[in-house]
Amino acid sequence: MRGVALVGAGVSKFGVRKASYRDLIWEAGKACFDSVSGVKPRDVEGLVVGSVMPERTAFQSHIASMAAEALGIRPTALSARTEHMCASGTVGIRYAYAFIAAGLADLVMVLGVEKLNQPSGEEAILNMGTGVDREWEAAFGLTAPPCFALAAQRHMAAYGTTEEQLALVGVKNHGHAAKNPNAHFNKGATLDQVLCSRMISTPLRLFMCSPITDGAAAVLLASEERARTLTDTPVWIRGTGQALDGFQLTSLSADYAEWPALRRAAEAAYRMAGVTAGDVDVAEVHDCFSIAELIAYEELGFCAKGEGGAFVEAGRSDYGGDVVVNPRGGLIGCGHPLGATGIAQAAEIYAQLRGEAGARQVPEAAVGLTHNNSGMGEHVVMIYGREPR
Amino acid sequence: MSYFRAVDPFPLESADDTKLHEFYARLAEGRLTTTACAGCGRTAWPPRGFCPECGSDRFTWSELPSEGTLHAFTVQETGLPAGFPAPRVFAVVNVGGHRIFTVLVGPDATAVGLGQKVRLTPLRVADGPKGTPRWLPAFTPA
Repeated sequence: MRGVALVGAGVSKFGVRKASYRDLIWEAGKACFDSVSGVKPRDVEGLVVGSVMPERTAFQSHIASMAAEALGIRPTALSARTEHMCASGTVGIRYAYAFIAAGLADLVMVLGVEKLNQPSGEEAILNMGTGVDREWEAAFGLTAPPCFALAAQRHMAAYGTTEEQLALVGVKNHGHAAKNPNAHFNKGATLDQVLCSRMISTPLRLFMCSPITDGAAAVLLASEERARTLTDTPVWIRGTGQALDGFQLTSLSADYAEWPALRRAAEAAYRMAGVTAGDVDVAEVHDCFSIAELIAYEELGFCAKGEGGAFVEAGRSDYGGDVVVNPRGGLIGCGHPLGATGIAQAAEIYAQLRGEAGARQVPEAAVGLTHNNSGMGEHVVMIYGREPR
Repeated sequence: MSYFRAVDPFPLESADDTKLHEFYARLAEGRLTTTACAGCGRTAWPPRGFCPECGSDRFTWSELPSEGTLHAFTVQETGLPAGFPAPRVFAVVNVGGHRIFTVLVGPDATAVGLGQKVRLTPLRVADGPKGTPRWLPAFTPA
Protein backbone atom coordinates (compact mmCIF):
# COMPACT_ATOMS: atom_id res chain seq x y z
CA MET A 1 0.00 0.00 0.00
CA ARG A 2 1.10 3.56 -0.68
CA GLY A 3 1.71 6.08 2.07
CA VAL A 4 -1.05 8.65 2.65
CA ALA A 5 -0.83 12.00 4.43
CA LEU A 6 -2.93 14.96 5.42
CA VAL A 7 -1.77 18.01 3.48
CA GLY A 8 -4.44 20.54 4.42
CA ALA A 9 -7.20 21.13 6.96
CA GLY A 10 -9.81 23.74 7.79
CA VAL A 11 -12.69 24.12 10.22
CA SER A 12 -15.73 26.42 10.26
CA LYS A 13 -16.86 28.21 13.38
CA PHE A 14 -18.93 25.72 15.42
CA GLY A 15 -22.08 26.84 17.25
CA VAL A 16 -25.73 27.68 16.76
CA ARG A 17 -24.94 29.29 13.45
CA LYS A 18 -26.81 31.86 11.43
CA ALA A 19 -25.70 30.04 8.30
CA SER A 20 -27.13 27.57 5.80
CA TYR A 21 -25.94 24.00 5.22
CA ARG A 22 -24.20 25.24 2.07
CA ASP A 23 -22.69 28.26 3.89
CA LEU A 24 -21.00 25.81 6.26
CA ILE A 25 -19.64 23.74 3.35
CA TRP A 26 -18.22 26.92 1.79
CA GLU A 27 -16.66 27.99 5.09
CA ALA A 28 -14.85 24.71 5.81
CA GLY A 29 -13.91 24.17 2.16
CA LYS A 30 -12.36 27.63 1.89
CA ALA A 31 -10.47 27.19 5.17
CA CYS A 32 -9.07 23.88 3.91
CA PHE A 33 -8.03 25.24 0.49
CA ASP A 34 -6.51 28.32 2.17
CA SER A 35 -4.37 26.05 4.36
CA VAL A 36 -2.39 24.59 1.45
CA SER A 37 -0.82 26.52 -1.40
CA GLY A 38 -0.85 25.11 -4.89
CA VAL A 39 -4.13 23.19 -4.74
CA LYS A 40 -7.18 24.46 -6.57
CA PRO A 41 -10.60 22.78 -6.42
CA ARG A 42 -10.15 21.39 -9.96
CA ASP A 43 -6.99 19.55 -8.80
CA VAL A 44 -8.96 17.47 -6.30
CA GLU A 45 -9.85 14.04 -7.73
CA GLY A 46 -12.29 12.94 -5.09
CA LEU A 47 -14.66 14.15 -2.40
CA VAL A 48 -16.16 12.20 0.47
CA VAL A 49 -18.75 14.00 2.60
CA GLY A 50 -19.65 12.83 6.09
CA SER A 51 -23.13 14.04 6.98
CA VAL A 52 -25.78 12.31 9.05
CA MET A 53 -29.16 13.98 8.75
CA PRO A 54 -29.37 16.61 6.00
CA GLU A 55 -32.59 14.93 4.83
CA ARG A 56 -34.19 15.85 8.16
CA THR A 57 -32.54 19.27 8.59
CA ALA A 58 -31.55 20.89 5.29
CA PHE A 59 -34.12 18.75 3.38
CA GLN A 60 -31.33 17.72 1.07
CA SER A 61 -29.85 14.44 -0.09
CA HIS A 62 -27.36 13.76 -2.94
CA ILE A 63 -24.92 15.47 -0.62
CA ALA A 64 -21.50 14.70 -2.10
CA SER A 65 -22.40 16.09 -5.52
CA MET A 66 -24.04 19.16 -4.00
CA ALA A 67 -20.91 19.87 -1.93
CA ALA A 68 -18.58 19.15 -4.87
CA GLU A 69 -20.43 21.69 -6.99
CA ALA A 70 -20.43 24.26 -4.17
CA LEU A 71 -16.63 23.99 -3.94
CA GLY A 72 -15.86 23.60 -7.65
CA ILE A 73 -14.57 20.04 -7.31
CA ARG A 74 -15.12 17.74 -10.32
CA PRO A 75 -14.54 14.25 -8.94
CA THR A 76 -12.92 11.78 -11.32
CA ALA A 77 -11.81 9.08 -8.88
CA LEU A 78 -14.13 9.06 -5.86
CA SER A 79 -17.39 10.74 -4.89
CA ALA A 80 -19.43 9.47 -1.96
CA ARG A 81 -21.29 10.38 1.18
CA THR A 82 -20.74 8.56 4.45
CA GLU A 83 -23.63 8.30 6.90
CA HIS A 84 -22.51 6.40 9.94
CA MET A 85 -24.05 8.47 12.73
CA CYS A 86 -21.51 10.22 14.97
CA ALA A 87 -18.43 8.58 13.38
CA SER A 88 -19.41 9.54 9.80
CA GLY A 89 -16.44 11.89 9.41
CA THR A 90 -13.73 9.43 10.36
CA VAL A 91 -15.37 6.67 8.34
CA GLY A 92 -15.08 9.06 5.38
CA ILE A 93 -11.36 9.55 6.07
CA ARG A 94 -10.92 5.76 6.04
CA TYR A 95 -12.56 5.53 2.59
CA ALA A 96 -10.32 8.26 1.17
CA TYR A 97 -7.29 6.66 2.81
CA ALA A 98 -8.06 3.27 1.25
CA PHE A 99 -8.62 4.73 -2.23
CA ILE A 100 -5.33 6.61 -2.13
CA ALA A 101 -3.36 3.75 -0.55
CA ALA A 102 -4.68 1.43 -3.27
CA GLY A 103 -3.57 3.80 -6.04
CA LEU A 104 -7.09 4.72 -7.19
CA ALA A 105 -6.67 8.43 -6.35
CA ASP A 106 -3.89 10.87 -5.44
CA LEU A 107 -5.71 13.83 -3.90
CA VAL A 108 -9.06 13.57 -2.07
CA MET A 109 -10.96 15.97 0.16
CA VAL A 110 -13.00 14.66 3.07
CA LEU A 111 -15.55 17.14 4.37
CA GLY A 112 -17.96 16.78 7.28
CA VAL A 113 -20.97 19.04 7.67
CA GLU A 114 -24.10 19.25 9.78
CA LYS A 115 -26.75 21.94 10.20
CA LEU A 116 -28.50 20.48 13.22
CA ASN A 117 -30.32 23.55 14.54
CA GLN A 118 -32.76 23.53 11.65
CA PRO A 119 -35.68 23.85 11.49
CA SER A 120 -35.35 24.11 15.31
CA GLY A 121 -33.29 22.80 18.22
CA GLU A 122 -36.32 20.82 19.40
CA GLU A 123 -36.52 19.14 16.03
CA ALA A 124 -32.81 18.32 16.27
CA ILE A 125 -33.38 16.35 19.46
CA LEU A 126 -36.19 14.41 17.80
CA ASN A 127 -33.91 13.70 14.84
CA MET A 128 -31.22 12.26 17.11
CA GLY A 129 -33.57 9.35 17.76
CA THR A 130 -32.86 8.13 14.23
CA GLY A 131 -29.38 7.07 15.38
CA VAL A 132 -30.69 4.33 17.67
CA ASP A 133 -33.05 1.45 16.78
CA ARG A 134 -36.40 2.95 15.92
CA GLU A 135 -38.54 -0.09 16.76
CA TRP A 136 -36.92 -1.23 20.00
CA GLU A 137 -35.25 1.94 21.35
CA ALA A 138 -36.27 5.26 19.75
CA ALA A 139 -39.95 4.34 20.10
CA PHE A 140 -39.44 4.78 23.85
CA GLY A 141 -37.99 8.27 23.34
CA LEU A 142 -34.36 7.16 23.53
CA THR A 143 -31.62 9.46 22.26
CA ALA A 144 -27.91 9.56 23.13
CA PRO A 145 -27.87 11.06 26.66
CA PRO A 146 -29.62 8.16 28.45
CA CYS A 147 -27.41 5.60 26.62
CA PHE A 148 -24.24 7.16 27.97
CA ALA A 149 -25.91 7.83 31.33
CA LEU A 150 -26.39 4.05 31.62
CA ALA A 151 -22.65 3.63 30.96
CA ALA A 152 -21.90 6.20 33.66
CA GLN A 153 -24.18 4.43 36.14
CA ARG A 154 -22.48 1.09 35.50
CA HIS A 155 -18.97 2.63 35.64
CA MET A 156 -19.77 4.29 38.96
CA ALA A 157 -21.17 1.01 40.33
CA ALA A 158 -18.25 -1.11 39.09
CA TYR A 159 -15.27 1.18 39.74
CA GLY A 160 -16.40 3.83 42.21
CA THR A 161 -16.13 6.63 39.64
CA THR A 162 -17.49 9.85 41.15
CA GLU A 163 -19.66 12.71 39.89
CA GLU A 164 -16.71 15.02 40.51
CA GLN A 165 -14.50 12.93 38.22
CA LEU A 166 -17.20 13.05 35.54
CA ALA A 167 -17.34 16.82 36.03
CA LEU A 168 -13.57 17.25 35.72
CA VAL A 169 -13.75 16.16 32.08
CA GLY A 170 -16.19 19.03 31.52
CA VAL A 171 -13.90 21.49 33.32
CA LYS A 172 -10.87 20.41 31.28
CA ASN A 173 -12.59 20.44 27.90
CA HIS A 174 -14.50 23.69 28.45
CA GLY A 175 -11.14 25.15 29.53
CA HIS A 176 -9.43 23.95 26.35
CA ALA A 177 -12.30 25.27 24.20
CA ALA A 178 -11.75 28.73 25.67
CA LYS A 179 -8.49 28.78 23.67
CA ASN A 180 -10.20 27.68 20.45
CA PRO A 181 -11.96 30.48 18.55
CA ASN A 182 -13.89 27.92 16.46
CA ALA A 183 -15.39 26.19 19.51
CA HIS A 184 -19.10 26.40 20.34
CA PHE A 185 -18.25 27.51 23.91
CA ASN A 186 -15.46 29.94 24.80
CA LYS A 187 -16.03 30.82 28.46
CA GLY A 188 -14.56 27.83 30.31
CA ALA A 189 -16.31 26.30 33.32
CA THR A 190 -15.44 25.80 36.99
CA LEU A 191 -16.00 22.53 38.85
CA ASP A 192 -18.88 24.16 40.75
CA GLN A 193 -20.49 25.33 37.53
CA VAL A 194 -20.33 21.82 36.06
CA LEU A 195 -21.62 20.13 39.22
CA CYS A 196 -24.47 22.65 39.58
CA SER A 197 -25.48 22.68 35.93
CA ARG A 198 -28.89 21.35 34.92
CA MET A 199 -29.42 17.58 35.15
CA ILE A 200 -29.84 16.04 31.72
CA SER A 201 -29.98 12.30 32.45
CA THR A 202 -28.76 11.02 35.83
CA PRO A 203 -25.82 11.36 36.53
CA LEU A 204 -24.92 13.45 33.45
CA ARG A 205 -25.34 17.22 33.82
CA LEU A 206 -25.42 19.84 31.07
CA PHE A 207 -21.70 20.70 31.15
CA MET A 208 -20.81 17.00 30.96
CA CYS A 209 -22.66 16.74 27.61
CA SER A 210 -21.93 17.89 24.07
CA PRO A 211 -24.50 20.35 22.70
CA ILE A 212 -26.52 20.43 19.46
CA THR A 213 -24.14 22.26 17.13
CA ASP A 214 -23.86 23.40 13.52
CA GLY A 215 -20.47 23.18 11.84
CA ALA A 216 -18.26 21.83 9.11
CA ALA A 217 -14.63 20.77 8.67
CA ALA A 218 -12.50 19.55 5.79
CA VAL A 219 -9.16 17.81 5.31
CA LEU A 220 -7.15 17.07 2.19
CA LEU A 221 -5.50 13.65 1.84
CA ALA A 222 -2.70 12.96 -0.65
CA SER A 223 -0.56 10.06 -1.78
CA GLU A 224 3.04 10.11 -0.54
CA GLU A 225 4.35 11.35 -3.86
CA ARG A 226 1.76 14.13 -4.18
CA ALA A 227 2.08 15.07 -0.51
CA ARG A 228 5.80 15.76 -0.86
CA THR A 229 5.12 18.22 -3.70
CA LEU A 230 2.58 20.12 -1.61
CA THR A 231 4.20 20.55 1.81
CA ASP A 232 7.42 19.96 3.73
CA THR A 233 5.43 18.86 6.77
CA PRO A 234 2.74 16.36 5.79
CA VAL A 235 0.98 14.57 8.63
CA TRP A 236 1.05 10.86 7.91
CA ILE A 237 -1.71 8.35 8.49
CA ARG A 238 0.08 5.66 10.46
CA GLY A 239 -2.75 3.34 11.42
CA THR A 240 -6.50 2.88 11.47
CA GLY A 241 -9.00 0.52 13.05
CA GLN A 242 -12.76 0.16 13.25
CA ALA A 243 -14.87 -2.34 15.15
CA LEU A 244 -18.56 -2.97 15.84
CA ASP A 245 -19.64 -4.81 18.96
CA GLY A 246 -23.37 -4.13 18.73
CA PHE A 247 -25.99 -1.69 17.46
CA GLN A 248 -28.77 -2.01 20.01
CA LEU A 249 -28.02 -1.41 23.69
CA THR A 250 -29.10 -4.92 24.58
CA SER A 251 -26.88 -6.47 21.90
CA LEU A 252 -23.62 -5.25 23.42
CA SER A 253 -21.46 -8.15 24.50
CA ALA A 254 -20.22 -6.50 27.69
CA ASP A 255 -21.73 -4.34 30.39
CA TYR A 256 -21.92 -0.65 29.48
CA ALA A 257 -18.78 0.32 31.39
CA GLU A 258 -16.66 -1.85 29.05
CA TRP A 259 -16.30 -1.03 25.39
CA PRO A 260 -14.60 -4.03 23.72
CA ALA A 261 -15.13 -2.55 20.22
CA LEU A 262 -12.96 0.44 21.16
CA ARG A 263 -10.28 -1.87 22.52
CA ARG A 264 -10.30 -3.85 19.25
CA ALA A 265 -10.26 -0.73 17.03
CA ALA A 266 -7.37 0.73 19.04
CA GLU A 267 -5.37 -2.52 18.98
CA ALA A 268 -5.72 -2.70 15.19
CA ALA A 269 -4.64 0.93 14.76
CA TYR A 270 -1.66 0.64 17.14
CA ARG A 271 -0.49 -2.58 15.46
CA MET A 272 -0.71 -1.03 12.00
CA ALA A 273 1.05 2.14 13.16
CA GLY A 274 3.77 0.29 15.06
CA VAL A 275 3.19 2.38 18.19
CA THR A 276 1.74 1.80 21.64
CA ALA A 277 -0.55 3.90 23.81
CA GLY A 278 2.50 5.29 25.59
CA ASP A 279 3.78 6.82 22.33
CA VAL A 280 0.68 9.01 21.84
CA ASP A 281 1.38 12.67 22.63
CA VAL A 282 -2.00 14.15 21.80
CA ALA A 283 -5.43 12.56 21.39
CA GLU A 284 -8.80 13.80 20.19
CA VAL A 285 -11.31 11.41 21.76
CA HIS A 286 -15.07 11.22 21.42
CA ASP A 287 -16.28 12.94 24.61
CA CYS A 288 -19.92 13.18 23.52
CA PHE A 289 -20.49 12.80 27.27
CA SER A 290 -17.83 13.00 29.97
CA ILE A 291 -18.17 9.29 30.81
CA ALA A 292 -17.12 8.48 27.24
CA GLU A 293 -13.78 10.23 27.71
CA LEU A 294 -13.09 8.32 30.95
CA ILE A 295 -13.86 4.97 29.31
CA ALA A 296 -11.80 5.98 26.25
CA TYR A 297 -8.71 6.54 28.47
CA GLU A 298 -9.10 2.95 29.64
CA GLU A 299 -9.90 1.20 26.36
CA LEU A 300 -7.22 3.16 24.46
CA GLY A 301 -4.69 1.93 27.02
CA PHE A 302 -3.78 5.32 28.53
CA CYS A 303 -4.59 3.84 31.97
CA ALA A 304 -5.80 0.57 33.47
CA LYS A 305 -9.47 -0.48 33.32
CA GLY A 306 -11.47 1.36 35.95
CA GLU A 307 -8.88 4.09 36.52
CA GLY A 308 -10.29 6.66 34.10
CA GLY A 309 -11.68 8.83 36.88
CA ALA A 310 -8.37 8.92 38.77
CA PHE A 311 -6.54 9.62 35.47
CA VAL A 312 -8.37 12.90 34.84
CA GLU A 313 -8.30 13.81 38.55
CA ALA A 314 -4.49 13.56 38.58
CA GLY A 315 -4.21 15.79 35.50
CA ARG A 316 -2.70 13.00 33.45
CA SER A 317 -4.90 13.82 30.42
CA ASP A 318 -4.05 17.53 30.43
CA TYR A 319 -1.02 19.66 29.50
CA GLY A 320 1.97 18.42 31.51
CA GLY A 321 0.42 14.96 31.95
CA ASP A 322 0.85 11.64 30.11
CA VAL A 323 -1.13 12.62 27.00
CA VAL A 324 -3.07 15.79 26.19
CA VAL A 325 -6.65 14.72 25.50
CA ASN A 326 -8.98 16.98 23.53
CA PRO A 327 -6.83 20.12 23.23
CA ARG A 328 -9.39 21.73 20.86
CA GLY A 329 -12.06 21.36 23.58
CA GLY A 330 -13.58 18.04 22.57
CA LEU A 331 -17.20 17.56 21.70
CA ILE A 332 -18.19 19.01 25.07
CA GLY A 333 -16.46 22.32 24.37
CA CYS A 334 -16.57 22.51 20.56
CA GLY A 335 -19.99 20.97 20.09
CA HIS A 336 -20.84 17.91 18.04
CA PRO A 337 -21.99 18.57 14.48
CA LEU A 338 -22.06 14.81 13.89
CA GLY A 339 -20.46 14.35 10.46
CA ALA A 340 -18.03 17.24 11.05
CA THR A 341 -16.67 15.98 14.36
CA GLY A 342 -14.27 13.31 13.10
CA ILE A 343 -12.90 15.72 10.49
CA ALA A 344 -12.42 18.50 13.06
CA GLN A 345 -10.55 16.00 15.24
CA ALA A 346 -8.23 15.21 12.31
CA ALA A 347 -7.78 18.94 11.61
CA GLU A 348 -6.66 19.48 15.22
CA ILE A 349 -4.12 16.65 15.04
CA TYR A 350 -2.90 18.10 11.71
CA ALA A 351 -2.27 21.47 13.39
CA GLN A 352 -0.73 19.90 16.51
CA LEU A 353 1.75 17.68 14.63
CA ARG A 354 2.82 20.61 12.43
CA GLY A 355 3.36 22.82 15.48
CA GLU A 356 0.65 25.24 14.31
CA ALA A 357 -1.84 24.92 17.17
CA GLY A 358 -0.95 28.26 18.79
CA ALA A 359 -2.21 28.64 22.36
CA ARG A 360 -3.31 25.00 22.30
CA GLN A 361 0.02 23.59 21.10
CA VAL A 362 1.13 20.36 22.78
CA PRO A 363 4.94 20.67 23.06
CA GLU A 364 6.83 18.44 20.60
CA ALA A 365 3.74 16.47 19.55
CA ALA A 366 4.89 13.72 17.17
CA VAL A 367 2.18 11.04 17.41
CA GLY A 368 -1.52 11.91 17.48
CA LEU A 369 -4.67 9.80 17.80
CA THR A 370 -8.32 10.39 16.99
CA HIS A 371 -11.23 8.36 18.36
CA ASN A 372 -14.73 8.71 16.93
CA ASN A 373 -17.67 6.55 17.93
CA SER A 374 -21.26 5.81 16.95
CA GLY A 375 -22.90 4.87 20.22
CA MET A 376 -21.11 2.71 22.75
CA GLY A 377 -20.91 -0.28 20.44
CA GLU A 378 -18.94 1.05 17.49
CA HIS A 379 -15.58 2.82 17.40
CA VAL A 380 -13.06 4.17 14.89
CA VAL A 381 -9.45 5.02 15.73
CA MET A 382 -6.87 6.82 13.57
CA ILE A 383 -3.19 7.29 14.38
CA TYR A 384 -1.20 10.09 12.76
CA GLY A 385 2.52 10.79 12.88
CA ARG A 386 5.10 13.39 11.87
CA GLU A 387 7.03 10.44 10.44
CA PRO A 388 5.56 8.05 7.81
CA ARG A 389 4.76 4.40 8.50
CA MET B 1 -47.66 20.49 16.39
CA SER B 2 -49.21 18.96 13.26
CA TYR B 3 -45.68 19.00 11.86
CA PHE B 4 -44.32 16.90 14.73
CA ARG B 5 -47.28 14.53 14.45
CA ALA B 6 -46.22 13.85 10.89
CA VAL B 7 -43.06 12.29 12.33
CA ASP B 8 -44.07 8.87 13.67
CA PRO B 9 -41.48 7.49 16.09
CA PHE B 10 -43.46 4.33 16.92
CA PRO B 11 -43.17 0.90 15.29
CA LEU B 12 -45.50 -0.12 12.49
CA GLU B 13 -47.01 -3.09 14.29
CA SER B 14 -49.66 -4.59 11.99
CA ALA B 15 -49.46 -7.74 9.87
CA ASP B 16 -49.26 -5.50 6.78
CA ASP B 17 -46.13 -3.85 8.12
CA THR B 18 -43.93 -6.40 9.90
CA LYS B 19 -43.41 -10.15 10.10
CA LEU B 20 -43.08 -9.66 13.88
CA HIS B 21 -46.72 -8.49 14.20
CA GLU B 22 -47.71 -11.34 16.52
CA PHE B 23 -45.37 -9.93 19.17
CA TYR B 24 -47.49 -6.80 19.32
CA ALA B 25 -50.79 -8.69 19.21
CA ARG B 26 -49.75 -10.71 22.26
CA LEU B 27 -48.37 -7.62 23.99
CA ALA B 28 -51.82 -6.01 23.65
CA GLU B 29 -53.13 -9.01 25.65
CA GLY B 30 -50.53 -8.39 28.36
CA ARG B 31 -48.18 -11.20 27.29
CA LEU B 32 -44.45 -10.84 26.64
CA THR B 33 -43.06 -13.14 23.96
CA THR B 34 -40.06 -13.40 21.71
CA THR B 35 -38.97 -15.46 18.75
CA ALA B 36 -37.59 -18.99 19.01
CA CYS B 37 -35.67 -20.07 15.91
CA ALA B 38 -37.36 -23.01 14.16
CA GLY B 39 -33.95 -24.22 12.99
CA CYS B 40 -31.88 -24.25 16.18
CA GLY B 41 -34.37 -23.30 18.91
CA ARG B 42 -32.47 -20.23 20.09
CA THR B 43 -34.45 -17.41 21.60
CA ALA B 44 -33.25 -13.82 21.39
CA TRP B 45 -34.21 -10.32 22.43
CA PRO B 46 -35.54 -8.42 20.61
CA PRO B 47 -37.57 -10.77 18.40
CA ARG B 48 -35.90 -11.42 15.05
CA GLY B 49 -36.91 -12.73 11.64
CA PHE B 50 -33.52 -14.18 10.77
CA CYS B 51 -31.24 -16.32 12.92
CA PRO B 52 -27.59 -15.30 12.57
CA GLU B 53 -26.52 -18.52 14.30
CA CYS B 54 -28.08 -21.09 11.92
CA GLY B 55 -29.38 -18.99 9.02
CA SER B 56 -33.04 -19.95 9.37
CA ASP B 57 -35.78 -17.38 8.80
CA ARG B 58 -38.52 -19.51 10.34
CA PHE B 59 -39.53 -19.00 13.96
CA THR B 60 -42.18 -19.72 16.56
CA TRP B 61 -43.20 -17.57 19.51
CA SER B 62 -41.90 -18.28 23.00
CA GLU B 63 -43.48 -16.91 26.19
CA LEU B 64 -41.28 -14.82 28.50
CA PRO B 65 -41.99 -14.21 32.19
CA SER B 66 -43.83 -10.98 32.96
CA GLU B 67 -41.46 -10.19 35.85
CA GLY B 68 -37.78 -9.31 35.81
CA THR B 69 -35.10 -7.36 37.68
CA LEU B 70 -33.65 -3.91 37.12
CA HIS B 71 -30.10 -4.04 35.71
CA ALA B 72 -29.47 -0.33 34.94
CA PHE B 73 -31.51 2.85 34.75
CA THR B 74 -31.26 6.61 34.24
CA VAL B 75 -33.79 9.36 34.79
CA GLN B 76 -33.79 11.84 31.93
CA GLU B 77 -34.97 15.24 33.09
CA THR B 78 -34.06 17.50 30.15
CA GLY B 79 -33.70 17.23 26.40
CA LEU B 80 -36.32 14.60 25.60
CA PRO B 81 -37.68 14.45 22.06
CA ALA B 82 -40.96 16.24 21.38
CA GLY B 83 -43.92 14.17 22.56
CA PHE B 84 -42.00 12.34 25.31
CA PRO B 85 -42.63 14.06 28.67
CA ALA B 86 -39.95 14.38 31.40
CA PRO B 87 -38.93 12.87 33.69
CA ARG B 88 -38.53 9.62 31.80
CA VAL B 89 -36.92 6.52 33.31
CA PHE B 90 -34.95 4.51 30.75
CA ALA B 91 -33.98 1.05 31.95
CA VAL B 92 -32.41 -2.24 31.06
CA VAL B 93 -34.16 -5.14 32.77
CA ASN B 94 -33.26 -8.82 32.98
CA VAL B 95 -36.23 -10.99 31.98
CA GLY B 96 -36.01 -14.75 31.47
CA GLY B 97 -32.29 -14.60 30.71
CA HIS B 98 -32.61 -11.70 28.25
CA ARG B 99 -31.62 -8.04 28.66
CA ILE B 100 -34.55 -5.88 27.58
CA PHE B 101 -34.41 -2.14 26.94
CA THR B 102 -37.53 -0.37 28.18
CA VAL B 103 -38.97 2.52 30.19
CA LEU B 104 -40.29 2.32 33.73
CA VAL B 105 -43.76 3.83 34.12
CA GLY B 106 -46.15 4.47 36.99
CA PRO B 107 -46.02 6.70 40.09
CA ASP B 108 -42.98 4.93 41.61
CA ALA B 109 -40.89 4.83 38.44
CA THR B 110 -38.30 7.37 39.61
CA ALA B 111 -37.88 5.80 43.08
CA VAL B 112 -36.14 2.57 42.12
CA GLY B 113 -32.85 0.79 42.82
CA LEU B 114 -30.70 -1.75 41.01
CA GLY B 115 -31.89 -5.34 41.42
CA GLN B 116 -35.47 -4.26 42.06
CA LYS B 117 -38.29 -6.46 40.72
CA VAL B 118 -40.20 -5.03 37.78
CA ARG B 119 -43.40 -6.18 36.09
CA LEU B 120 -44.51 -5.95 32.44
CA THR B 121 -47.00 -3.11 31.89
CA PRO B 122 -47.82 -2.65 28.21
CA LEU B 123 -47.77 1.05 27.34
CA ARG B 124 -50.39 2.36 24.91
CA VAL B 125 -48.87 4.88 22.50
CA ALA B 126 -50.33 6.83 19.56
CA ASP B 127 -52.52 4.77 17.25
CA GLY B 128 -51.03 3.49 14.02
CA PRO B 129 -51.55 5.19 10.65
CA LYS B 130 -54.73 3.12 10.08
CA GLY B 131 -56.16 3.90 13.51
CA THR B 132 -55.20 0.64 15.22
CA PRO B 133 -53.97 0.71 18.86
CA ARG B 134 -50.23 0.36 19.40
CA TRP B 135 -48.36 -0.89 22.45
CA LEU B 136 -44.76 -0.93 23.70
CA PRO B 137 -43.28 -3.30 26.32
CA ALA B 138 -42.88 -1.03 29.36
CA PHE B 139 -42.43 -2.09 33.00
CA THR B 140 -43.47 -0.84 36.45
CA PRO B 141 -41.62 -1.36 39.74
CA ALA B 142 -43.17 -4.45 41.37
